[in-house]
This record gives sequence, structure tokens and C-alpha cells, in this order.
Amino acid sequence: MTTHGDSATHFGAPAVAARTGPDAGGDNPLAGNAEGLPAALDGLRAAIGAARFPLALPSAEPARRAAAGLTHQLDDYLLPRLARLDAPLLVVVGGSTGAGKSTLVNSLVQARVSAAGVLRPTTRSPVLVCNPADAAWFRQGDLLPGLTRTNEPSEDPGALHLVTAPALPAGLAFLDAPDIDSVVDANRALAGQLLAAADLWLFVTTAARYADAVPWELLHGARARGTVIAMVLDRVPPEAADEIAAHLSEMLAAQDLAAAPLFVLPETRVDGQGLLPDRVTAPLSAWFARLAADAEARSAVVRQTLDGALAALHPAVEGLAEAANEQLAAADGLDERVGAAYRAAERTVDQGLTDGRLLRGEVLARWQEFVGTGELFRTLEARVGRLRDRLVAKVTGRPAPAAELRTAIESQLVTLLRAVAAEAAEHAYTGWKAHPAGAELLEPELAHASDDLPARAERLVRDWQRGVLELVRTEGGGRRFAARTAAYAVNATGLAVMIAVFASTALIPTGLEVATGAGTAVAGQAVLQAIFGDQAVRSLANKARGDLLDRIGRLLTEEAERFLARTGAARPAADTGADLRRAATEVETARHRCGLARTDGPVLPAPDQGGCR
Amino acid sequence: MSDADALVARLQAVRRFLAAVDGQVPDAHLVTAHTVVERAGTRLALSGHHTVVALAGATGSGKSSLFNALARLDLSPVGVRRPTTGVAYACVWGPLDGASRLLDWIGVLPRHRFVRESALDGDDESTLHGLVLLDLPDFDSVQRGHRLEVDRLLGLVDLVVWVVDPQKYADRVIHTNYLREFHRHQDVTVVVLNQADRLPPAELPRVLGDLRRLLDADGLAGVPLLPTVAVDPAGLDGLRAELERTVTERQAAVRRLAGDVDAVVAGLTPLVGPEAAGTGPDDASARELTTALAGAAGVPAVVEAVEAAYRHRAGGTTGWPVVRGWRKLRPDPLRRLHLPGGGADASAESLVAATSVPDPTAAQRSALNLAIRTVADRCAADLPAPWPVAVAAAARSRLADLPDALDHAVATTDLGMTRRPAWWRVVGVLQWLVTVAAAAGLGWLVLGYVLRALGLPALENPRLGEVPWPTVLLLGGLLAGLLVAALTRPVTRWAARRAGQRAERRLTASVGSVGDTYVLDPVWAVLARYAEAREALRDAAR
Repeated sequence: MTTHGDSATHFGAPAVAARTGPDAGGDNPLAGNAEGLPAALDGLRAAIGAARFPLALPSAEPARRAAAGLTHQLDDYLLPRLARLDAPLLVVVGGSTGAGKSTLVNSLVQARVSAAGVLRPTTRSPVLVCNPADAAWFRQGDLLPGLTRTNEPSEDPGALHLVTAPALPAGLAFLDAPDIDSVVDANRALAGQLLAAADLWLFVTTAARYADAVPWELLHGARARGTVIAMVLDRVPPEAADEIAAHLSEMLAAQDLAAAPLFVLPETRVDGQGLLPDRVTAPLSAWFARLAADAEARSAVVRQTLDGALAALHPAVEGLAEAANEQLAAADGLDERVGAAYRAAERTVDQGLTDGRLLRGEVLARWQEFVGTGELFRTLEARVGRLRDRLVAKVTGRPAPAAELRTAIESQLVTLLRAVAAEAAEHAYTGWKAHPAGAELLEPELAHASDDLPARAERLVRDWQRGVLELVRTEGGGRRFAARTAAYAVNATGLAVMIAVFASTALIPTGLEVATGAGTAVAGQAVLQAIFGDQAVRSLANKARGDLLDRIGRLLTEEAERFLARTGAARPAADTGADLRRAATEVETARHRCGLARTDGPVLPAPDQGGCR
Repeated sequence: MSDADALVARLQAVRRFLAAVDGQVPDAHLVTAHTVVERAGTRLALSGHHTVVALAGATGSGKSSLFNALARLDLSPVGVRRPTTGVAYACVWGPLDGASRLLDWIGVLPRHRFVRESALDGDDESTLHGLVLLDLPDFDSVQRGHRLEVDRLLGLVDLVVWVVDPQKYADRVIHTNYLREFHRHQDVTVVVLNQADRLPPAELPRVLGDLRRLLDADGLAGVPLLPTVAVDPAGLDGLRAELERTVTERQAAVRRLAGDVDAVVAGLTPLVGPEAAGTGPDDASARELTTALAGAAGVPAVVEAVEAAYRHRAGGTTGWPVVRGWRKLRPDPLRRLHLPGGGADASAESLVAATSVPDPTAAQRSALNLAIRTVADRCAADLPAPWPVAVAAAARSRLADLPDALDHAVATTDLGMTRRPAWWRVVGVLQWLVTVAAAAGLGWLVLGYVLRALGLPALENPRLGEVPWPTVLLLGGLLAGLLVAALTRPVTRWAARRAGQRAERRLTASVGSVGDTYVLDPVWAVLARYAEAREALRDAAR
């Protein structure tokens, strides 16, 4: 497993230099043609920050996570890295718990910088190791701004322990990340964040672990992002090294990761310092030494990862835009369910009014009483009628027929309104219940009409009745009609109009009404028409009817609003998807303009022959 | 009662619960319960002399090595390539015959079954007689199929030995997806830390302590935790002793199923509340329902018609005979509604099934809907989530049949209009008498006039005082008729109101019984099923 003198230059630096030749001259290749990129990224960051996914759709949770991940990646890595392309190469050492990441980092830098141990998970707070010369850049905190720099080992996942190691060449830094698969959830989240900030992933797995599902999912994501990856297969029983290395190579090739260099480290006992023996780590150290020595190779790695990360933004943001549009569509769908329920309620009321049958029963009885007692004629005669109404009510203790008629209309209408509102609320409720996002927004009280609905419905009917009286008063102005109406009590006329509203299509009595003795109602109609003229009654009735339907429509809208307010609060801005797409397209255009990576082939030097690859 | 009998009784209770809630609760809540009931029935019917023990663990934790070491044979392939085992292997201690049906059910292929005949080894394996050891595939590798197979097998075995190793003992997948799910199966769970030899001896207690802490967090505080070394025969003593104990007790299957039932009961508990079923609708809402039903059935219209008909008919019998015929030209109000008791041709009309009572208005329909909703809400007020929906659905389940039932109820109710009151006849006879007297007087006068006109000798009219009798008869008869008619009228009105009230009482009673049958009975049925489900679940919770 030890290295035997194959010249490093054979595979390494010269080849990379040749591949990256065109850029070799410029210190800052972004100058001039890429000024738009940071601005575009800022725009994208704002767009992602503005995107919300509040409705509980299957796509919402992944989208929220993806948005948070993208924001982190932009802050932690893309923006700072773009600002300083020549900053040291950050190698993030990631992998499963117990794979020996910390031991490996310690051994590579020849110092106990990160605690290793048998308890899992060992590392909970990330440790960054760099050459003293580079310490200033990492301490400055442009990169991974969310993590507090400390000089002491810490258990706090929000801290980044910064260690300098003179054994490490300048231009290269190692970050020992927490595990990706232990029971500690915070570790997994932090590891994901750190891996997204890597210029180079050093992915550590073991002989027992290399087929685990969790790391492969991460590798899959890394490949999709174009991150440069190197693999370390650790803790390999020496007798099985060849077989396992071959199998892992096959798996890497199958995942389209064949370009990743693979280092195989045998299972050994650590020395007194807790470090791996030199002979074990030699191929890896040598490889890193070569990489550190070759500025061009480093630069190529940085650019490929950066370019890959930028290129991966577009599809990722496309997914977010998709999810945002789904949110909008779902909110519209929920609104539509509510709308349909309340439209049906309005239709029911409309029908209840047009077929004239609301008149039957009590209304009819009151109307008969009203007309039959001759009170219509009497109230029509003079305004005095109203006074006498009150007098009669006082003396007999019984409301005068006119007042009773009004109450009858009122109670019938209120019953109708309460029933349709209850039904509509129930339909809207079940409609939402069947939708995952809707079920999330529901509260038990939405299953019923609001508590004050009966009171509001009564108020509505009284307001309408007053409105009808007012209508009769104002409509009468001017014409011959006015002269006649003026002579009669307006309230009786108003009542007659109310009746006409209910009976507008039933002017001709049906056999049924005759059967139940509605003849007098017909007589009442005849009286009305004789006084006002057919056309005037019709137009008054139409107006009163329209007014009533308007008021009921408003009442039902208020009821529907209880539902709609919830979708309204949860609804993302209408143009979120378009904003995201536009910002992503701008980033994509800027990326193409500046041409960060111009190579198709592998950018990493291959490991030496001894590295088992 | 033994554990097995108790388990059977609890399973029976779960079955009763499932039968009671069938159709009332969304099936999605019941899938696990159905699975467990079916699986438990099968397992109990199969061999009770065998204990199925599974070795489960992550890839590379050494399950197969442990399996081979326990069997002391090289049965399951061991390798360095991951993942190794894709299918389950089984080893039976004792004769295979008894266990083969069990293994058929578990789904281990015959070529993956091995027999550990105790005859070969003498007595040292006889303590494990009856053990069926399974080597499961891993559940954390890139091969998703393995995971599905493990999930299936874990549902069928009696005891699970979780094999972890120093590298993987804190993996998320084993704790979150598996160990935590088994917190109700503590007495059939064993955890072993395999490859203990890879740790420095001084570190082993620390790692075991850390693992114990993680197990406590998983809710598995009481499970045995043993270090094992597959390559060293002495490293298995603890596990072997644990297995021997389990096999000898022969209780693992029952305990495992009891744990399953515990989980099922815990999952089903939210479906029944702590409260007993409600006592049904209160008086106010029941009255409201009857009133609304009466309105929808057109009872007020019928009552009005009854009153009018009473007046009409009374007028026909007791009215002044001279104008009675004119009254008959007007139709009888009850007959218009095609209601029974309508008149002489009632028998012919009874063939007409439907009445012509006016259809309910929008307001009446609304009132009925509201009343039904109120009754359902009251009845389901204290019930947990799926039940109010079921109760509301039950209350409305026969809504479509309701109009016809109401119509039929109104049609078949005896309105008390068939019999003619005796006083009508008395008054009628009286009216006839006075009319006959008037007619006789008139005839007498006409006869006298004719005699005189023909020049015949005049009749000697007897006189009452100064007035001749024919005149007394004529005028007195007419006057008396009018007087009787006038006196009868208020009585008729009062009697008509009485008849109307009687009809209303009877109609309300029959409409109320329709409400009981078509609205309340389905509701009661649901409430009864709720009570039954609640009781069954209480039994199942032991």
C-alpha cells in the first residue's frame, strides 16, 4: 500500500496545466466578463428568500429544504468563492459515522487537531485545519459566515474550530465534517451544509459501509452538482482489499463517478498519538502535496466545482419554481372548492326566490290575514294606518297583521339562509378535507356556518325590508305612480312589493294555491296591479329582488371569506415562479459568459500506482 | 388464564372492534389492525413448539458470521463485498418437518433452509431444540429490495436479535426506522454489539454504555444488550444463553403478538374517545326535528284542509236544506289533497298512493336539513374525529326516502274524518223536520189557493190564535231553519278547530315515527356500533 516513486509529474501537474493552459496567464480570469455573476447570484438569493411554500403539498417540504439548502450554499460558498477565486482550496472530509474521518485528518496534518474516538458520532462540531499563512482568510469569515470561529474544541454545532498546522502546505485546507448518517440530526444537516461549501469532497467510507444507501444518495447529489470528489476507502481488512476496491470501483463507474480518484487504506491500529502510520497515509499525503504544489491544478478544481455548483442552480431553482407554481395551483384549487360550495348556496337561494314557493305556508297565511282583514286597503288609505297598527298592537297585545307578515317573511328567509350557509360550509369543509393542503388549513369550527350567522341573516333581512320601503319611496318620485303612492302608506306598498318578489313568477295562481285557499293572495296581487300598474310592480319587484340577492351574495361571500382568508394567508406571491426562473436564467447566462470551467476531462491528478486504483 | 388464551381473547376483541367500525371509519386507519389480526391468527395456528428468531442488522455488522457461529456450520455466505445477503437463510434446531410449514409461511425458500440435528452433537444443542434462526438481509444498503424483504420478515418473526457493530451502532437508519418501532416489543428484542473484539478492551464498556443510552432514547430501556464476538466461540455464550432461555419458555411468539396487539390498540385508541357514546338527541333537537318534518310533510296545510273539510261537511249535513245543494257544488278540501276520509269514493282513492299535499318550500326543506344536522351534531358532540362524519352521514342516509315516507305517513294517518258526529244527524233531522213543516205549510197554503181558484169550497184552516196553521208552519219552519243554521255555525267552527287539533296530533305522531325510523334509527345504529367498538377496544387493551 505504500507509494513507490512514480513521478508525480507523470500524471499530475503538467497534465492539468496543459488542460487549463488558456487560463494560465490571468490572475483573475473573471475580470471584465463576469461582473454580472455576483449580481445575478444576489438576485437569485433574493428570489429564493422571497419564495414561500406554506401549503402542505407533497412537494412543499422538499422545496423548503431545497430553498434553505440553496440559500446556505449561496451564502456559505458561491458568493464568497466567486469573490476570491484564488483563496485556498477547501477539502471537506465527509462520510459516515465511524468511518475514521477525524483520524484521517489528524494523520494527514500530522497533529491531533480533531478528536477521534470509539463513541459514535464522535465529531459534532466541525474542525478546519489550514496552513498558518491561510488562517487569516478562513478566520475572516466570508466563507461559511453562519459558523462562529473558535480556537477551542467545542461541542456546539454552530461553531467552527479553526486550527493551524504547519505540516499542511499553504493553499490547502481540510475541514473535518460531522457524520452524515448518525442518530444526531443536527450533524446531518451541518454535514450537508459543509459539503455544499467544499471545493473538493474527500469522501471517506469503510469496508463495512461502502454499500450503505445514505452516502450514495449524497454522492449522487454531488455528481449532479459537478462537485469534484475523491474517495477514501478506509478500514479495509488487508486480505480483502483487492476485492472490495474492485467492487467499489464498479459501483463508482455505475454511478458515473469513475473519474473520482480512489484511495484504499487498510485497517490498522493507530499509534500512540492516535494517528495512522505513515505507510498507510503516504499515497494520500503525496497526492495532496502534489495538488498543493500545483496552483493551476488547484485553480482547475476550484473552478470546476464552482461551475458545477452554478450550473446545478438552474435545475434546482426550476424545481423550486415548479413547487411555487404548484402552491399557487393548489391555493386556486382550494379557493375553487370553496367558491363552488358557496355558488351552489347562492343558486339555492335564487331558486328559492324565483319559484315563488317561499310564499307558501306562513307567509301566505299572513298575507291572507293581511289582505283578508281589509287592512291592506285601510293601510293603503292613509299613513294613519301605521299609527293604528301600533294602537292595535298595544291594545290587543298582539302584533298587527302587517307586522306579523314582515316577521313571517323574515323567519322564512332566515331559515333558508341558515340552511344554505350550513350546507355550503359543510361542502367546503369536506372539499378541503379531501385535499392534503386543505386538511392542514382546516379548523373544526369551519365545518359549521359562523356562530353569528343567524343574527347577521336576521339583520340582513331587516335591512332589506327597510331598503324596499326606501325603494318604494324613491322610485315613486316624478311619475303618476308617485301621486298615487303618496296617498298611501309606504310601508304597505313595500310589503306588497316584498310579496311580489317572492311571487314574481307565480302571478297566476296554481291549482295548489287555490287548494290551500290562496285565492285572496291573488286578490292581493290584483289590488297591487290595479293601483300601481303591472309594469311598475314588476320593475319594483325586480329591483327589490336584485337588492336581496346582492345582500345575500355579500353575506355568503363573508362566510366564504373564512376559508379564503386561510388560503390567502398561505398563498405565495403570484409571480414567485417566474421570478425564480428569471433569476436562474440570469445566473445561467452570466455563467456561460464567464466560462469558468473549460475542461471536460478529469481535473484531479490521478493517484499514484500504490493507491490501488 | 394463560398468556396464549389472553392473547386469543384480545385478538377476538380486536376482530369485534374491526367488525363494529367497518364502514364507519376510513379503512386507512385499520390496515395495520387487519394485518396483525390475520397474521396472529396464522402464527398461532402454526407450530407453537418453534421459536423464530431473526438476526437483523446493517450491512457489514456480521449477521451471517453470527448465524454461522451459532449454528456451528458454514451455512450463510459470508463475504467482504457489501451487501452480502440478499435473501433470508434459516436454520432449524431439531427436525425440519415441524418447522417447514412455519418456514413456508415466513417465506424462506426450501434451499435456504438448514437443519441442525441435535443427534450429531449429543446433548449440547438439545437446549436449543425448537429454535428457528433466520439470517435476514441488511436494511441500509443501496439494494432497496433487501430493505423490503427485511420489513416483511420482521413482521413475522417471534424474537429479533439486532446486530450492531462498533462502527454502525449509532446509525440513524437502525434507530429511527427500526429500533424505535419495536418499543412495544421489548420482551422479544435483544441487541448485540457484534465485532466487540475490534474495540480496545478498555473501550468496550464505554461503547456499551453509549449504546445503552441510545436504546433508552429509543424507548427500549429494558432490552438485553450483549457484546458478541463471532470468531470466538466463547464470545457467543451470552447470546446463546439468552436464546436457550427464550426457546425453553416457548412464549416468544405470544409475547411478540401481544406486542403487536399493544401497538394496534395504541394506534386505534384515538378512534374512540374516553367518553361513552352520547345519549342521543336531546328533547329540544328532537322536537325541532319533528316540527321540521311536519313542515316538510305539509302537516299545516293538511290541518287547515281538515278544518275546512269539517266545516264543509258539517255545513253539508247541518246547513239549511234549502241552500245545502249549492254548497255541494264546492269541492271538499280534503279530497283535493287526495287524502283518505275524503268522502264516499274513499275506497277508490286509496289506490292512489301519493297525496297531493303541497311540496315543501325551500324554507321548509332548509329547516328540515338544519334540524337533521342539529340532531346529528348533538348526538356526535363528544365523539372523536371520524365518528361525527359517520353520524351525520347516517342521519342523512335515508334522506332520499324521506319524502315518500312522509307522504305515506300523512296518507295513512287516520284524520278522524270518516265518522259523522251524532249531533250532525240530530241537527240534520231537526233541519229536515222544520223544512218539512215549512213545505207542508206551503203545500197547505197552495192547496187552499188552488181550491179557491177553482171555486171549490174553501178549506177550514185551523188557527193558532189569529194566525192560520199553514202560515205558522211555513214561516215558523223557515225561521227555525235559519235560526238552527245560525246557532250551529259557531259550534261547527269550534268543532272544526278541535278536529284540526286532533288531526295535527295524529299527523305529528306519525311524522315523528317516520323521523325515528328514517333519521334517528340510523343514528342510533352508529352510536351502538361506537359503543361496541369502544368496549371491544377496552377488552383488547386487556
